[in-house]
Amino acid sequence: MVAPTVGVVAFLTVYPFVTVFSNSLFEYDYIAGTRTFVALDNYRSIVSDPQFVRSVVNTTLFVALSTSSQTIAGLVLALLYYERFRGRRIATTITAFPMMLSTMVVSAAWRTLFHFDIGPLNVILQRIGLGRVGWLINPDIALLSIVVVDLWQWTPFVFIMLQAALRTIPREYLEAARIDGNGTIGVVSRIVVPLLGPHLLTVALLRTIDTFRLFAKVYALTGGGPGNATETISYYIYREAYRYFNLGRAGAASVLAFGVIALVAAVYIPRLLKEHP
Amino acid sequence: MRLHRIHPGIDQASIRRHPARLLRAAAIAVLLILTLLPLYWIVVTSLKTAREVILPIPTFFPRTVTVENYRAVLDAGVLRNFANSLITAGLSTVISIVLGFTGAYALTRYRFPLRFNTLFLVWVLVVKILPPMVLSVPLYELFSSAGLLNRLSGLALVYQVYTLPYALWILVGFLKGVPKELEEAAQIDGAGPGATLVRIILPLSAGGVTATAIFSAIMAWDEFLFALLFLRRPSMLTLPLRIANYITEYETEWGRLMAIGVLSSIPLLLLTNFTYKRLSEGFTASLK
Repeated sequence: MVAPTVGVVAFLTVYPFVTVFSNSLFEYDYIAGTRTFVALDNYRSIVSDPQFVRSVVNTTLFVALSTSSQTIAGLVLALLYYERFRGRRIATTITAFPMMLSTMVVSAAWRTLFHFDIGPLNVILQRIGLGRVGWLINPDIALLSIVVVDLWQWTPFVFIMLQAALRTIPREYLEAARIDGNGTIGVVSRIVVPLLGPHLLTVALLRTIDTFRLFAKVYALTGGGPGNATETISYYIYREAYRYFNLGRAGAASVLAFGVIALVAAVYIPRLLKEHP
Repeated sequence: MRLHRIHPGIDQASIRRHPARLLRAAAIAVLLILTLLPLYWIVVTSLKTAREVILPIPTFFPRTVTVENYRAVLDAGVLRNFANSLITAGLSTVISIVLGFTGAYALTRYRFPLRFNTLFLVWVLVVKILPPMVLSVPLYELFSSAGLLNRLSGLALVYQVYTLPYALWILVGFLKGVPKELEEAAQIDGAGPGATLVRIILPLSAGGVTATAIFSAIMAWDEFLFALLFLRRPSMLTLPLRIANYITEYETEWGRLMAIGVLSSIPLLLLTNFTYKRLSEGFTASLK
């Protein structure tokens, strides 16, 4: 009974895996149809390619900034929603909306919000005397703008997870900490963060996995530009494979990406197996 | 009502007593506005005329409310894209449930040699974690030689890369909780293995099946990468691709762009409460 499932998984993953590894060892031009064994030349050539290095730097920055900002913002939201208040249910539902939109809709909306000439953000900034910002066209800012979009879309996810985690902390702990003379910041840093530790790590890992594959937002918002200021590893592979048809170099970049994600998996999978034996 | 007496809302007296509460209310209000403004922008832009959209200073309230954008995108065949998305999401969900359910059942009921059960589930997780771009090149060649490009069925099949790992993990969790004695009792009553599975096990794991169905549908609805690589024929495009094409082809056809955005968001927004509950229930349920 397990055969069809294993079959599909093998078809979709095992063969592609082997092929990616073997492609990475060949000079492989899909259009010309030539395939010559070059051992590790593709690896050598991409690690000395400034565009690849830039894509690694961009991806690292994006993962670090997005994951940390979303985790912090999600925690703040969960704390703000901790006590009951009138309208909490409806406010929670509204807060969850952004993550229910599809990524392309989110990207389309922000692309117009960020528009240099007639986007509302720049018009407001100019109104209050700050001048326009090249959200998606200034190479120093474009990646940060994508971080903002991801923050808007995915903070709700972190919020919901941490809200659930927060409910597992007995209320008395927080009250006791307050009676001991802690302010809000003291309670959060001495009680909440240590007790939520494992949950915070799980959420951060999930966001790391998701932000590491960043592609669709870049495609829709900047196309990797300006220059290659927002090109991620996924985008680099896309360009090598589907624009230049250089499957050897795309394969080598894929294997390196897999190496990075294997490190994440080494942390994440044992945790999951322990929670869910 | 009783709750309000114990935890009074934000009335004047309690504000004076609790400045912290006022601060919290203000923070929540600001965050709600930040959440809602882009959503408002999407809806309001979709209701503006083409001329109003490109005014040098955007209007907060549309001067003329029009449904012309909706009519235009419907005339341009967006319903076709909507149907394509629906078919792909439906098909990939069915495949995931059938394969996920039978696979999870076998993995929880039989111990295969060489620790196959654990190894398989771990492998599936590695796939789940992997950026899909990494496997896309060989998958493209594979699907191309199998004649599965430009087909929604091919797309539904490749989406199993995302949805099947998820389905397997959720359903393994659920099926572990179904006692073996029930199956044994059914077998003694003369039910075959197929009947046992469908009549006894399936109803008992209904929660897991629903969760799997909704999450695979959401993933398929949102998917962009494989749709971009596998679909070339215009009549086959899914909604995310149609939106991407609008973005790249027409710089400022924002009214129409947002009209497609609104149409494609409605099915997902209806699922907000379900998703919220499901994510609240636990961390292992949220591989996404």
